[in-house]
Amino acid sequence: MSVFEYVLAGVLAVIAGPAAFDILGIGVPITVLMVFGGFVIGIVGGATPGLAGPFLMAVSLPILLSIFGFTPDALLPVLGFLVGVMKGATVGGAVPAILFNTPGTPDAMLTTFDGYPLAKKGQAGKALRTAHFASVSGDTFSDLVLFTCAPFLAIVVEAYLGFGEKAALILLSLAFVAAVIGASPMKGMIAAFLGLFIAAIGTGEDSYSRLSFGTEALASGVPLITAVLGVLILGEVLYAFEQMWRDRRSDEVTETQQEGDQRLTWKERRKLFPFIGVSAVVGTGIGALPGIGSTLAATLGYATGERMHKGPVPFGRGTPEGVAATEAANSSVSGANLIPVLSLGIPGNVGAVFLILAAESIGGFNPGPSVFRFSTSEINPELIIAFGLFTTMMLANIMNWIIGGRIMAVVGIMARVPKQVLLPIVLLLTLTAIYVQEMNFNAFYFAFAFAILGYLMRKLRIPTLPFVIAFILAGNLEQAFRQAFAVAGGDPFFLFKSPLSLFFLLLSVAVIIFFSRPKKPAANKAIEAERDA
Amino acid sequence: MLGRSTEIWIAVIFLILGVVAAALWVPFDSETPPIYTFRRQTYIGDAMLPMVAGAGIAICAATHLILSLLRRRDDKDAPFDRLTGLFFLVFLGIVAASFMLMFWSGPAALALFGPTGDEPVTYRQMRSTAPWKYVGFVIGGFVMVFGITSLIEGKFSARRALTSILAVAVLILIFDVPFDTILLPPNGDF
Repeated sequence: MSVFEYVLAGVLAVIAGPAAFDILGIGVPITVLMVFGGFVIGIVGGATPGLAGPFLMAVSLPILLSIFGFTPDALLPVLGFLVGVMKGATVGGAVPAILFNTPGTPDAMLTTFDGYPLAKKGQAGKALRTAHFASVSGDTFSDLVLFTCAPFLAIVVEAYLGFGEKAALILLSLAFVAAVIGASPMKGMIAAFLGLFIAAIGTGEDSYSRLSFGTEALASGVPLITAVLGVLILGEVLYAFEQMWRDRRSDEVTETQQEGDQRLTWKERRKLFPFIGVSAVVGTGIGALPGIGSTLAATLGYATGERMHKGPVPFGRGTPEGVAATEAANSSVSGANLIPVLSLGIPGNVGAVFLILAAESIGGFNPGPSVFRFSTSEINPELIIAFGLFTTMMLANIMNWIIGGRIMAVVGIMARVPKQVLLPIVLLLTLTAIYVQEMNFNAFYFAFAFAILGYLMRKLRIPTLPFVIAFILAGNLEQAFRQAFAVAGGDPFFLFKSPLSLFFLLLSVAVIIFFSRPKKPAANKAIEAERDA
Repeated sequence: MLGRSTEIWIAVIFLILGVVAAALWVPFDSETPPIYTFRRQTYIGDAMLPMVAGAGIAICAATHLILSLLRRRDDKDAPFDRLTGLFFLVFLGIVAASFMLMFWSGPAALALFGPTGDEPVTYRQMRSTAPWKYVGFVIGGFVMVFGITSLIEGKFSARRALTSILAVAVLILIFDVPFDTILLPPNGDF
């Protein structure tokens, strides 16, 4: 198959795939329907403080797996839904920030700087339209960069890196993620090694399941989805419970009468273009690096926009340019975040973690450099899935352009749902989702054990993402080590043989040392919050 | 960063954990050592990954300990206090009660109010039959959601009770009604 035929096959797998039902004799493809469903749920969830894209993806995944099963046919509908959620939540997050000054996530805090003042001036509709326009523009740009860069990077990695270099590259990525997230690289590294250690329980190649104490409960290993949901989602829920219990107050939301022309004219859109363009480039560049969150992108986008701005209303006092600069930057992170996933097989953020989990659970698609083998003699089904995934992303963008703004306008009501009511429901929902996957009450105990681990990590400011990424990558890392060792003929210095792997290892050490320097106080609360998270 | 003494405690605990894991747990609970030779071929054994991970935890914890000791003394608050213990005591009590009720309510309800006859009906036979299949999930789920909401708000209210019932009903609609193959908790265990 030629490159064009692979692309076409990917597109057709989505738009001409199995139909969910017929309308006037025309079948509605299940994948398109799932992207739409995920997108709508994503906006609603993103607009609900306390919920966010990762929460929704985490809870949806076990349900989707139960519905679609573990056949390759399930890949595109499941991935499409998750992509829809990811994109919907990105735009939805701006709604409570603008309408009620309630940032659901640290990056949305920057949207409140100008969005809420605009709403207070009676210009909430304009602010929402600006946020939508900037967000979807940045997201689309980022996706286009992903589509063009990921295959090339993957081909380079596959062509030039051997087993040893790939093992060293995984180590570099882990070191990078551990170093840039949180206040202390050493705590990030401890989290990453802990993830590797726990992933080793009950696995391995020998007949005896290592580190299982000979017990049946540990012999089959730690359930992947349960552990990830426990640490990432339930740990956060427990943490939030305690905080709310301590605060014991529910924030009252106030509304301002909206007045004047709420439309965003073409002239106004044109004025926003430079801000959106610069922020999209900043966000895409930041997003391509694993582990760096959208908060840094939003902050840099906002700061750059502030320098460019020469309008009558300064940044921070309610200017649409401020909303556009922030939203374009944080939205353009989401597509670029998938570059390390698809080209290296390394998830760089929580959203990507769930895409990898879905792919690993279903099977038949292993995100990484081997996906982009453009073999002409035989069909590479993984490549078709990869182009199918790109198609779902583009579909979600098209939906976002067409109806995203309208949905945003009606989901403001979600900000009124009290967190203390919502989060216990999220707890039960997550536990139920885990149960339908595992069909065993023991899964609850596992989930709670990991929830407590996640809670403790948050309280002790040990970042959870390096733990989760290491936990997911442990199998690949061990495999790469074993293969490299075998190829080197049992040479214990196999990792230091090639100049490239030596370079990756030295770079890992340099990254850790660089980020271990004493940090200056962060420029804003959002960055400080993410650093401390 | 947390206070200096807390960071020192974190480092010491992980240092001990890392050393114990790498030096005791891994060697005694793995079939093959980190590197072994079999039929004149040298292989990486099952102990390699966890031993590297354990040693990594210990080394990073030791470095963190040194960096923390070099830090200036400060008086930041400790991450845990008496309130944390109190909260978790009540919270875990609610969760334990909800788990217990979720697991046993269905079989108990069937035993008390189920059909009677010569052949005793087991819960396993009825685990996919309404209303028995919902009893445990509804009671356990309600206790969990309502209990935690009330704990956080510090009061019981009829409105929250209604919300909790509605939430459980919505979850049944999501997970159970559309699918024949999915079993609500705890029905898969019977």
